[in-house]
Order: sequence, then C-alpha cells, then structure tokens
Amino acid sequence: MVEELKVGVYVCHCGVNIASVVNVKAVIEYASTLSNVEVAKDYPFMCSDPGQNMIIEDIKAKGLNRIVVASCSPRMHEPTFRRALERAGLNPYLLEMANIREHCSWVHEKQPQEATEKAKDLVAAAVAKVRMMKPLETVKMPAVKRALVIGGGVAGIRAALDIANSGFEVYLVEKKPSIGGNMARLDKTFPTLDCSQCILTPMMVEAAQHPNIKLLTYSEVQSIDGSVGNFTVKILKKPRYVNEALCTGCGICEQKCPYTVPSEFNLGLGKRKVIYFEFPQAVPLKPVLDRDNCVYFKKGTCRACEKFCPAKAIDYTQKPQEITIDVGAIILATGYGLYDVKTKMPEYRYGPSKNVVTGLELERLTSATGPTKGAILRPSDKKEPKNVTIVLCVGSRDEKHLDYCCRFGCVAGIKHAYYIISHIPDAKVTICYTDIRAFGKGYEDFYARIRSSDNVQFIRGRPMEILEDSNGSLYFDVFDQNTNRLMRLTPDLVVLETGVVPDPSFEQIATVLKCSRGPDGFALELHPKLRPTETSVDGVFIAGVVQGPKDIPDTVAQAGAAAASAIALLARGEVESVANVASVNQDLCSGCGVCEPVCPFTAIVLEARNGGRVAKVEATKCKGCGACAAACPSGAMTQLGFEGKQLIPQIEVLARAR
Amino acid sequence: MQAYAQTDILDEVRRVIGDQRPEACYQCMKCTSGCPAAKVSEYRPHLMVILTKAGLAEEVIQSGIIWACSMCLKCKEYCPQDVAPFDVVIALKNVAISRGYKPPEMLVGMANNVLDYGYIMDKPMTITTTEFEEVSRETLGLPKLVHPKNMEKFKKLVSSFGYRRLT
Amino acid sequence: MKMYLYLGCATPTKQYGYELSTRAVFPRLGIELVDMPDSNCCGTPLMGVNRFYNVYAPARLMAIAEAGGLDLLVPCNGCHLALSEASFLLRERRHLFEQVNALLKEEGLKYTGRAKIYHPVEALHDLAGVEKIAESVTYKLPPLKFACHPGCHLVRPSNIGRPERRDGKLKLEALAEAIGLQTRDHPEKYECCGAAMLPYSTDAAIKVVGMRLKRFVEGGFDGVTTLCPYCFDMIDGKQDVAKTITGDRSLSIPTFYYTQLLGLAMGIGERELGLNLSMSPIGSVLEKLRR
Repeated sequence: MVEELKVGVYVCHCGVNIASVVNVKAVIEYASTLSNVEVAKDYPFMCSDPGQNMIIEDIKAKGLNRIVVASCSPRMHEPTFRRALERAGLNPYLLEMANIREHCSWVHEKQPQEATEKAKDLVAAAVAKVRMMKPLETVKMPAVKRALVIGGGVAGIRAALDIANSGFEVYLVEKKPSIGGNMARLDKTFPTLDCSQCILTPMMVEAAQHPNIKLLTYSEVQSIDGSVGNFTVKILKKPRYVNEALCTGCGICEQKCPYTVPSEFNLGLGKRKVIYFEFPQAVPLKPVLDRDNCVYFKKGTCRACEKFCPAKAIDYTQKPQEITIDVGAIILATGYGLYDVKTKMPEYRYGPSKNVVTGLELERLTSATGPTKGAILRPSDKKEPKNVTIVLCVGSRDEKHLDYCCRFGCVAGIKHAYYIISHIPDAKVTICYTDIRAFGKGYEDFYARIRSSDNVQFIRGRPMEILEDSNGSLYFDVFDQNTNRLMRLTPDLVVLETGVVPDPSFEQIATVLKCSRGPDGFALELHPKLRPTETSVDGVFIAGVVQGPKDIPDTVAQAGAAAASAIALLARGEVESVANVASVNQDLCSGCGVCEPVCPFTAIVLEARNGGRVAKVEATKCKGCGACAAACPSGAMTQLGFEGKQLIPQIEVLARAR
Repeated sequence: MQAYAQTDILDEVRRVIGDQRPEACYQCMKCTSGCPAAKVSEYRPHLMVILTKAGLAEEVIQSGIIWACSMCLKCKEYCPQDVAPFDVVIALKNVAISRGYKPPEMLVGMANNVLDYGYIMDKPMTITTTEFEEVSRETLGLPKLVHPKNMEKFKKLVSSFGYRRLT
Repeated sequence: MKMYLYLGCATPTKQYGYELSTRAVFPRLGIELVDMPDSNCCGTPLMGVNRFYNVYAPARLMAIAEAGGLDLLVPCNGCHLALSEASFLLRERRHLFEQVNALLKEEGLKYTGRAKIYHPVEALHDLAGVEKIAESVTYKLPPLKFACHPGCHLVRPSNIGRPERRDGKLKLEALAEAIGLQTRDHPEKYECCGAAMLPYSTDAAIKVVGMRLKRFVEGGFDGVTTLCPYCFDMIDGKQDVAKTITGDRSLSIPTFYYTQLLGLAMGIGERELGLNLSMSPIGSVLEKLRR
C-alpha cells in the first residue's frame, strides 16, 4: 500500500531571533511550491502550546503524515515536537527539523537576504528527507529491579539507604574490610565539629541491618556486562579467612596475634595486627586476616588466632568467592585519594621529614581511635608541637600538578587549626593560604571564629619549599602579602592540605564501564549544570568525590540525587531504547569487526553465524550516534532515521542550490 | 593612579622571546617565598609580575630593582600558573634597555665588551696564587683565548638585531 | 672520543683552575678536548640586555661545532643552560630557527641542532661512567665528607631537561663517591650562589653565598665541591668578604672543583690542577687528600 505523502511545513519566527533576519513569509511561500507540501504556515513561537496545537490540528484535519519544523536546533525542541506528533496520533519519527536559527539567522545576522535563501534551502532539504522517513519504534525491555552501589563511603551508604528505603534491593560493594570510606578517618567534621564517627556509624549500622541492603565488604567488582536495566556484574569477595557466620566480633584473635604491620587505616602512622579489625567501629565488625603478612601462610607456624578463637571461626582454607548479580542500575561512589605529594612535590619534604604530615594524617593523630589515642604528637619524637604551620593548596590550582581546586582544603585547614589550638592551649598555628574558600553553610562563620583566635595567624602566601636543617628542624620562608613581609617560619609540625584525586580503584572500574573521565581524571557527568549524576553510560550514575572534589554535605546531596535517578529507572521497571538505533543487515555483514570497538556504548557484539561471525546491535544500549554506520566498509550497518536513501535526497537539494 | 595606564609596556613584554604569561598570575606569593634575591634585597618577583599585568611597570623599570634577580630560576620552576616570573623580568629588562634606562654599571662594561671582543671580559685576568705569584692565562701555559674569527662581521651581525652599545 | 671544549667567558679569563683540571682529567678518560676555532660569549649574563643574543650566540657556537663535526663539552653552568635553552627554543619556534640561520648564513654557518652539548657532570657520569672513573683513579681519596653544590642552572628549569634532577641523589654526588669521598644531603642543596646579583649589589650577592657557606659549615662538611665557574668564584672566592659583610667569622670551608678532586685521585700534580689558585683554605684538606 502506497500512502499519499502529505507534508506540513511550519516555520517559526522564534520571536525576533529568526524573523528579524530571515523573511519567514518568503520561506513559507517557497515551501508551498515544493511537491507533497500540503500546508506551509508560520508562527511566532512554534514550541508554544498554540504552536504545537496548530500542528496537531492540521495533522488531524488534513491527514498530514510528514512534518517539517523549521526553527531552532533539534537539541532544543526535537523531543517537544515529537511528543506533539504523538499526541496527534502520528509516529513521532515522521518529523524532520530544519535549523534556521543556530545554523542560519544567528550566524548570518548581517546578511538577511542570503540568510533567507539559505533558510529556503534548509527547508527544501528537510522536506526531501522527511519524504523518505519511515515510522520508527523504540524497544522496551523489562529492567531488573535491583541496584548496585560501588563504594561504601558516605556517598555509597547514603545512596544505598535511599534506594533501599524506596523498596528496592541494593548491593553495596566495598573493597576495604569495612564501609565508611575517608569520612570514617576524620575526627570531626566542619563547620559544626560533629564527631565524624558519631554521625557516620548510625548510617553504617543502618546500612548493614537494612533488609534491602546486601553488604559485600572486602569485595571488588571484576566485570560488568549488559546494559541499562540489565547489568550482569561479577564480584570477587576476597577471603577474610574468618567464617563470618560463626564470628562474634569478640576481638580475641586480634589481641592474641603476635605480629604487627603498619596500619593502612591510620595511613602508616601506627600499627595493626596481622589479623585485625580495620577500626574499632568497623561495619561489619568482623576481622580480616592479612594473608600477605601472616606467618602461618608464609611459614606454617603460629596459628594463635585459630587457637584462641572461642567461636572456632578461623578458616585458613577460605577461598575467594565469585558472586554474580543482575542489577538494573549502578551507582559509582568510589571516592578519593590524596595527590602523591611525596614523589611529585619533593620540595615539601613529605616523606623524608617525619614532621611534615597531610591533613588526613592529622585527622588520625587527633582521632581518639588513632595511633596516639587523640593526642596530637610529632611523629618524630612524640612530643606535642607548639608551633604548627598549615599549608593550603599543596598541589592544587597548579598547572604543574592538579589544575583544579580541591574545594574543601581551606575549611579543612581551618578545622585543623582548631584541632591544634583546642588540644594544645599554648600552641601557635600559622595558616599559609592563597584564597580562603569558605563557601558552604556555616563556613564563613567558622572561618571568622578561628580567625579571631590570637593563636592563629593567617599568612597570605604559598611557600615554595620546606627545608630541614642539619639538626632536623624544619624551616622555610613565605612572603605574606597581608603584611608585605618575607617571613621565616620554623614550625615543629607542618600540615599539608593536599589536592585530591579519584581513588585508584576508579581507573579500573571506569575502563570496565567505559565511563568517561574529564581532563582532571574524575568521572564525567552528562551536563555540568543540569545532569551532575548521570554519565554517558545509561543506567550508570555517579555520586560523591568520584565526580569531583566536594565536601560532605554536597556528597550526601549528590548521593541522594543519584539514588533518585536510579530509583526512577527501577520504578519504571522498563527501559526504552532510542528509535534511531543502528541496524545491521546480517546478510551483507562480513564480520570484519570494525564497528565493535568504534561503539562508545559497547552496543555491538559479534556473534557466530553460519560458521563465521556477524555484528549484532543491542538496541537497548545503542544511542544512535551513527559512528558504526560511518565506519562500516560494506554498508551493512546503517542507522535508522539516517539511512542513505534518506540523506542523499537531502544532500542533493543542498548541492543543487547555488 | 589609573589601572591599565602603561599597557604598552605589557605589549612590549609580550614581544620578547620567552614563556612569560603575566596575565595568568593569581598572586599566590610562591615565587617571592622561595626567591633568594628577595631574602637579601627589596626584589619581589610577584610584584614585578602583577605591576606588569596591571600596566603599572614604568616605575619598576625606572627603579632598577629588576636587575636584582639572581637568575636561580626557582620561580619559573615552581610557579603554579606557568607565569614564569623570571621570563617576565627578563622581558622587563629588555624593555628597559630599549627605552634607554641604564642597567648596573658592571653589565654596561660586559655588554660593550661583547661587541668589541666577543666576550664579557676584554682580556684574561691576572690572579695571585697561594704562593703569592702573579699568574695569567699565558703564564699558566693555557692556549690563547679564541675570539670571534671575524670580529667586525660578528659586531655587524650582532648589531643587526638591535644589540646596541650601552653608555 | 673527541669533543670541542667551549669555555665561555668566566673560566678562561679567571677560573684557570677549572680549565686546567678539566684539560688534565678528560683525556685520561678517553675524551680528547679540542679547542674551538671560533668562539663567543653565550649570552647568559646579558639575557636582560638583549634576549635574542642569548638565542643567536648559542646557535652560533653549536653551528661552529657542527661545522667541525664534534659535540661540545661545556663546563660552565650558565653556558650549558644558554645552549640547552636555545636548542629547545629553536626546535619549538620555527621563526626563530629561520631568523638565526639567516644570520649564521652570513658567516657560512648553519645550525641544525646536530651537535650535542655536555656538561662535565654529564660527560663524566653518563659518557665515561662511574665505574670507569673508579677504575681510572690511582688511589681512592679518604672518605672526607663533601657537600656537592650543583648550581641552579644544572637543575632548573626542569621542563627543558637538565643534567641534574631536583630531588634525590645528584650525579655529582655519585661521582664524588666514585673517587672515595663521602657525600651527604644538605639543606638548600639546590640553592643559588648569588653570582648573578653581583652587578646589582655586591652586598646582596655576598649575603646569598653567605647563606650557602653557613649551611656547609653547619653541616660539618670537610669541603665543598662544584662544577661551575661562577659558583666556585662565589663559594671559593668570596669567603673573606662574606665574613666581613655578614659578621660571621665561621664562614670558611675548603672548596674544590670536582675535576680537581678527580685529578688528585688520578695522581695528577696539584699545580697542574690549578690548586694553587684557590682562595678558600684548602691546605689542611689537601694534605689529607694527598697520597
């Protein structure tokens, strides 16, 4: 059955944006001379209600079956007009837009006559294409109503709780033995100076006990296959060598273990046993046996933990466990690590000088659960420092290191000054700053409070280096722009507020997921202003510092936003592909495989067929970018809505014109 | 005093060969903090840069403080914005010379010696040994100093790109 | 192998000890030094007078070396920096390359960048090698504690590549150890000698070297060694002035060119190494270093 083509052309004035340059009436007149054009109308704002209704009424009354809208960029209103077609009962893909604003009136302001002629050509080309358009359908697939959160810091915990509270099951995977992340290392949080563990542990416990949350700690994601709504994730649960079902968390094994190694949680400042709890408030409260340092595994002796465990929970034969799960949505919340100042900025002597520490290390010193039980002591001689310098912007805002701002270093530094003066009443603190960024709620007030202390001096200057004399005393010069003086500082403890980078685990996960990273290495959001938690991979969301440096309030807010996106997906229960998907003619396909790596969305697989192989497009993953169709040497791969027979008439019109 | 008063200096600074980017500076003070000249004089690299950027470098050039730089290159090595304060100051020196400001006396002699002899010294020095002997290059048996083979041509070529005798 | 010896201005007109000891030790390591047929100042002291001279002059020197088919040994840090930086700029900026070659053409010279430049620290550590040096000495020097002063221009600016790194062990330190000396890290190791401040203010320049001398003395070193004529001129030559200007009478330390120390270990005579030209009190240390 050959339907009679009836094209409706609608030219928008866009207020004065188009009409002040392009002679809209002339374009209408011209359009009505084109074959198959039934209706050619203009209107001040086509995207408005009356504008859309005009199209809908014409479709219904005149039986239009192809629509051209000449207006702004399709990136603005293509979805708007597609929905209008749908409301009129017409397939939404029988629409073609001609961009006579961004591509015409906005760039040819000084040449209205030529712009009008160009608008006519663009409309004619659109008509030529729309004649060849066929109705397209999207494909709907059911989504697995389960989510995965990768990373058990405050972002991951918050996101998991929000998803779980909405009634959906969620896996929370954390590579360390306990959840809590970097926030668990902090002593207090600014500006309220809440005890970090005190506000975090209730959330941690809630996550562990929530019926909808499955906690997988000491576990790492190995592979992720599938696409939005249907991800298949392989997780490796590393062996603790402790039977978690039998273990009561009594801690006798840790007590009896005779060997110690540097503690990772305490950033090397203290020691832990070889069988250990990551920290006293660990969730789950189960120990881990560090196999690499265990004398039993190395020499076959000791076995003290096994001997003394009242629950007989030690199991040296435990093996890594591979767990495979299906989820519909994934949230990445892998958090951050500190910039490698030791190798990259040797001029600050972090490493060679024991009394140069990072802000995070100071948190461990100040924390009651830390290696000094909360006493701030110099690492070299365990004496109280009386003269502390805090240096902000170490490695940050630096073209030679990290060009971005770490965002929370300023207020963290101010908080660290507070730690010193509240712990050591006669100590003097100097903060060397470049700009104080105290942007958040209560931050300016906190800054004012610390600034007014007689024991805290703010120096506006960034030191170039930190030196140590032959007696081991630290010294350096810094120019203070405030007092216009070059100062020689001789601190007995230096605290560096270093830049932050994504946690090292992110690199591997990003590669596995093909999640884009920005030039700064952090996860790339879909739109910097309007879509901060979505990524270029459908169904994968990001939250927390993995997306960029931020403080705890922003991290938690973003975690909620990511959870909401995930919940929306799961609640819908189904995923819809785009309509303009790539389509492969498997009879023409030679299986050369050029298309598969070209696809940014891993939507193409090569499958066996008739002894060879052919490409197959997974419509739910395809985003209709067209790269594979362009790459295909044989023409087997085309893109629906952009097929050769649709594009060539469009090109012919433009080629003929002038 | 007006901002942007002497942007011609900024333009001239930009024309000198080098990596100078005074516009990028956000006044972190790192350069001055590590500068050896700043420790022993009033020289302040950060000030040289910001005054140049603000179009206020005239008085700096006039004061002669720009000649205090010890050429240690620490400021260039550690500047977080790749301003290269050292390059800015070298450019200011070049601008100063082209506007007729005199550099320190010792440099005048050195600069003129290059035109006449190809070296900053006119001739090898006579020095005293630990045994109070007076020796020179010749008495120590060292080969004769090699000057530019064609001194006249050298002088002409060097003058051709603006290298003038200083007074 | 043969190399042109480009001495610059300071060494051949005053720092005879450096020239003497360099000419003495390199042939014994298989590197024959050839005098340049044509030469000129590299331009480093005059960067502020005419920046372009500081690109043209090094190119002229490297073109002369190219014409002779040899690489260059450049003992002065300032000269080495000038030649390195000029090579970098001429590679990066086409218009400079063309401008410079147009001038060189007038003298029948051409710069293509083929001639390589070596500072003695590179030639000794990388070309000869620490093992060869250890073997070339007739006796190991007693393990006196020496502070190694590389000098600013051997270390910075690191983006164009310099012979020494700005952290970790220096090549100079490895070379010192190869002949039996003991080295130790010292604060302000990479700091400036202040030489370039002399034209502006003798006072200020001396105060800068005074800071270096103070650290050497505080570090309990037996001596200081360096491979730059300007640094040596300041550290060796200005100790008495430094005592006067700073008022600190302790600023005294034996200073040697590394090539002089190497020469001693090779059994070369003290006069041949120009050790009688030093201004710092090297007598007592020299006694300990003698066989």
